[in-house]
Amino acid sequence: MTPLSERQWAFFLAVAARVVPAVTSLDETGRERFAAIVGTALAGRPRSLQRQFALFLSVVRWAPALRFGAPFDRLAPAAQDSVLRWFMDAPAAKLRGGFWGLRALVFMGYYGQPEVWGAIRYAPSFSGNEFLHG
Amino acid sequence: MVEKTYDVVIVGSGAGGGAVAKELAPLCRQGLRIAVLEWGPKLRESEFTGREAEMADKLYFDSGGFLTRDRAMTLAFGRAYGGSTVVYTGTSLTLPEAVLARWGVPGLDHGDLRRRSEKYLGENNVHLLGDDALNDNNRLFAEGCRTLGYRVAQFPINVKGCHGSGLCNLGCPNAAKQGTNRVQLPAAEAAGVEVVTNCKVETIGERACTATVTNPPFGEPSSWEPGRYRIRARAIVVAGGAVNSPALLLRSRLPVQLPALGRYLTAHPALILVGEHEHPITNYFGHPKSYYCDQFVDDGFLLETCMYFPFTTAKNLIGFGAEHADLMGRMDRMQMILVLAVDPALPANRITLGHDGEPVVDYRFTDGVLDALVASQRAAARIFFAAGCRRVHAPAGASFFITAAEAGRIDELITREPFKLGKVSISSAHLMGGCRMGADAGDSVTDAWGQVHGVPWLFVADGSLFPRCSEINPYVTIMALADRVAERVRARLPELPA
Repeated sequence: MTPLSERQWAFFLAVAARVVPAVTSLDETGRERFAAIVGTALAGRPRSLQRQFALFLSVVRWAPALRFGAPFDRLAPAAQDSVLRWFMDAPAAKLRGGFWGLRALVFMGYYGQPEVWGAIRYAPSFSGNEFLHG
Repeated sequence: MVEKTYDVVIVGSGAGGGAVAKELAPLCRQGLRIAVLEWGPKLRESEFTGREAEMADKLYFDSGGFLTRDRAMTLAFGRAYGGSTVVYTGTSLTLPEAVLARWGVPGLDHGDLRRRSEKYLGENNVHLLGDDALNDNNRLFAEGCRTLGYRVAQFPINVKGCHGSGLCNLGCPNAAKQGTNRVQLPAAEAAGVEVVTNCKVETIGERACTATVTNPPFGEPSSWEPGRYRIRARAIVVAGGAVNSPALLLRSRLPVQLPALGRYLTAHPALILVGEHEHPITNYFGHPKSYYCDQFVDDGFLLETCMYFPFTTAKNLIGFGAEHADLMGRMDRMQMILVLAVDPALPANRITLGHDGEPVVDYRFTDGVLDALVASQRAAARIFFAAGCRRVHAPAGASFFITAAEAGRIDELITREPFKLGKVSISSAHLMGGCRMGADAGDSVTDAWGQVHGVPWLFVADGSLFPRCSEINPYVTIMALADRVAERVRARLPELPA
């Protein structure tokens, strides 16, 4: 489903757990929906962008070795968050943009599932006007 | 390759293409053949599910996330029977006279544009919603503006039988919004115009274009069999929108040099801002966009109400993790404001072609636009607090939340420093320019009637005609300009060889 390799996907999930903690609470069906949404979104992008995204995942994985002496997935959660915050505010726009894209994919995979809407108190109705006045 | 012959081919079926199709449709009674070639699908009514990821995938280019080359902005534009009119909120404003004066297009008169605009306001059932149809999200915005002394006005909208699903941007599931898919295209088809969906026009040559029909696994199948086509026409009207129309013309072998082609793109770059109330408010029930504030248009920005869906909302908040999830878990308490920058038309902001022939958009944010986007967040924060929000999230905020206790320090808490391109979600759904109108072929692409300079059989009829941004939601102006284009095509057709 996803253009990412198994290893890349496992790493993506590790980052996703920091971006949206509730990703780890998804049941098997929810995890499958998450994978399907992310996979479809990635597959619809140009191959060059897919390659750049895979490269960015590698950068996120290995860049922490310079500061923490270990790759991202071996860091404690607080250190992982610190790494992600650095990418979010990175001095280079390309790194910020890479993190923006990664983050957007995680949000799409999670919040794009109507099944989680109840947990975030979102319950739209085709007949919304009926609920406007109590 | 299958050969087809028409008198008029219209590329695209949105506000521009739909208007041209309906205006030219009476010609079918005289035996003329007219076709609208639309890249996107015609969805069945049951396929408007209101599910965000699914509808974005079916109705928008790149699921609504088409990125500029530097990835600092996403562009949302529709691809469907009805184009972007399927996915707008239906807010219907006419172009202010002062804006038209700034456009400075010789031969484009405000009285004429207003008369044509009013025709479409009537045709599309544009009216103000009654107070009982306004939700808290909208009402609180108006109250906040009035408390602060900001000018606020209600949007006229083009709905008929609106049930307040709030899902306008995902395609109305109640068929209430009066886009070209509901008004102009059915009328044109009834009069004999053929509308061919799932048909991507690739190039335009001398009075002909090439196209490919491919049916996606949803929507009604195209009326043409899948395959490659060459379509001859006496006149061709390009109405594919401000990204795809310039791209199509750039891919084509035109008999003239057009140095302005693709240039002067404007976008009304926008941010979604969120305030949180202590208690639930009605926000996702009811029409999402009822008010706007143009108090600050001279400062370079506009404010509108809005209410977006979970993924779009999540993407537009800064940050991640627990605090982000905490806010996302209170969708029912969110008040939302869309801020839009009034951006200048610059030749460097342009559409070019990538290696694959598909459009690439270069857009440079000027300091003026960035300053306006920061100032707009301060104004929005003040409105949120005046409306009773307990805390506000601003992309240029010093922290994730600004609390009500900090409301007096907004200017120092919302600054340019944390507002970094690539970090902040800036989006655009008002794409304008690229085939701008004007008198001089050196810095414009068409004349004031949408005819491409030096090519009597080729016309443009969409937002790409705008020489500068519209400073308002653009669709009514697109229809009014398209109306002029249709009039010119009708007048010119007898001179054009079969």
